[in-house]
Amino acid sequence: MEHIEKEIIAILSDVSGVDEQEIKPDTDLAKDLEIDSIKAIEITVAIEKKFKISVRDEDVPKIMTLRQAVDLVSQLLGQKNTANVKS
Amino acid sequence: MCGCYLAKAGMKVLIAEQHHTPGGYCTSFRRGKYLFDAAPHCFGSYREDGMMRKILKGLDVDKGLKIHRPDPSDTVVTPDYRVSFYNDLDKTIQGFQECFPHEGATIKNFFQLLQNVDPQSFAALRKLTFKQLLDQYFADDKLKAIFSIPLLGINGLPPSMLSAFVGAKLYSEFLFDGGYVPQGGMQALSDAIAARFQEMGGELRLSTLVKKISVQDGAVSGVMINDNDFMPSRYVISNCDARQTFLNLLGKDALTDEFSLTLENMTPTMSNYILYLGMSAGFDPPLNPGTFYYYLNDYNVESAYQAISKGNHSEYHGFALRISPDKSTIYTGMPANYKSPLYWKRNKYKILERFISKIEEMAIPRLSQNILYKDAATPHTLGRYTLNYHGASYGWAGTPSQIILSCFRKPPFIRNLYLVGHWTTFGVGISGVAYVGFDTALTIAKRANKKNVL
Repeated sequence: MEHIEKEIIAILSDVSGVDEQEIKPDTDLAKDLEIDSIKAIEITVAIEKKFKISVRDEDVPKIMTLRQAVDLVSQLLGQKNTANVKS
Repeated sequence: MCGCYLAKAGMKVLIAEQHHTPGGYCTSFRRGKYLFDAAPHCFGSYREDGMMRKILKGLDVDKGLKIHRPDPSDTVVTPDYRVSFYNDLDKTIQGFQECFPHEGATIKNFFQLLQNVDPQSFAALRKLTFKQLLDQYFADDKLKAIFSIPLLGINGLPPSMLSAFVGAKLYSEFLFDGGYVPQGGMQALSDAIAARFQEMGGELRLSTLVKKISVQDGAVSGVMINDNDFMPSRYVISNCDARQTFLNLLGKDALTDEFSLTLENMTPTMSNYILYLGMSAGFDPPLNPGTFYYYLNDYNVESAYQAISKGNHSEYHGFALRISPDKSTIYTGMPANYKSPLYWKRNKYKILERFISKIEEMAIPRLSQNILYKDAATPHTLGRYTLNYHGASYGWAGTPSQIILSCFRKPPFIRNLYLVGHWTTFGVGISGVAYVGFDTALTIAKRANKKNVL
């Protein structure tokens, strides 16, 4: 979980230009980091690439804070691992 | 725009422009008493909290410009309908609902989606095509075609290929909030930005072709300009065509195999065939001067796209057209494929005459009797003046798989190289590329520990 959070903070910092230390679990992406729709896609694509997962369209609006992003990635990685075990 | 904001941040900036005039596609030219915009005639996103207003205001450029907005700014004309985009969005919704009363509630919902200010919800459109989005809302094929016709005119893509995100952005930033025209033409906007850049200490070199971007130890080290002068620099920002930047200025050896493959598989937008007409003093058109019209004489946008992409101009029964507010000129055009310089040399004037006949038939009877000047820009002309690959109008085609690819904005394999403009896959249209330039300047200024450029 800590590793996921660290990687997502790095992505958010890279896209927003805000220092990593300033990004906290409840940081609001739109309000605090000024993430607009273009940057929201950029972040989603970067997360998909970094963790080798696919974020469904209906899940994109759920990524409003760092905590939500970490929860979603953890959940998707869990699903991926379960699928790998079954196969 | 990027150069301006970097100069504002206190950085030493050189802009090298290959043309003798600043602006790229945003230039104007005179022929006798007539003033024509070369390509775009207006910009969008200039509402009170619009991105373009914020960016121009941040540079104090807006104060020196007189900006006019016609009402309606845009009108779509088909055999059965004439639907307009008014400055008052409620009036626009009402107009759509009067034409399609059976889709009344969904029209309102669709407009609400396009106006959505929640970035994450808007971002959720990233994988859809505009057709899939329309199909989620509407059953009426004619209404779906009417929503798609302006996007074919603007972006050159049919709904089955256009990204829903790009289509929605064009609606929210260019059709709902578009039609802003600087007095003196688009050149006035480009000149004002260039003048402000120089006032802030920037150096602008026109007629200056960059020949090479130099790289040392994995980072840019400067550029070679036309008379083989080497200009060392910490950052290089390319506003050129992406193929030029990567294949000519950097060279294939500087690219990774993965990126070379991506670049090879990218598809550019179509170009345009643009007709410039100078009119007689007595010209009294049956259309509203200033408004941009999109005509299509059927509802099959997909087959219209197929016709123009194959170069069958006679099978494409559509065009976009604007009469200047003083009725002295007409700017009209249609998407067009590049073909070859020889093709356009042989066909430019044949197409011109057929185009005028088509306008007479569909929009302005006896148009030719009032024309005192006529000329056209072909895809070859547009490519020659701006060095955009095959005269592409909007950089890479805005399909779902070709949007927001960060490798075209900040290539990960070379440090301190950035791209701005419509080849980045991040911005469409004038306000879109202004956003990319502005945002890139913010990023660079922060990394260089410069003052806040806002």
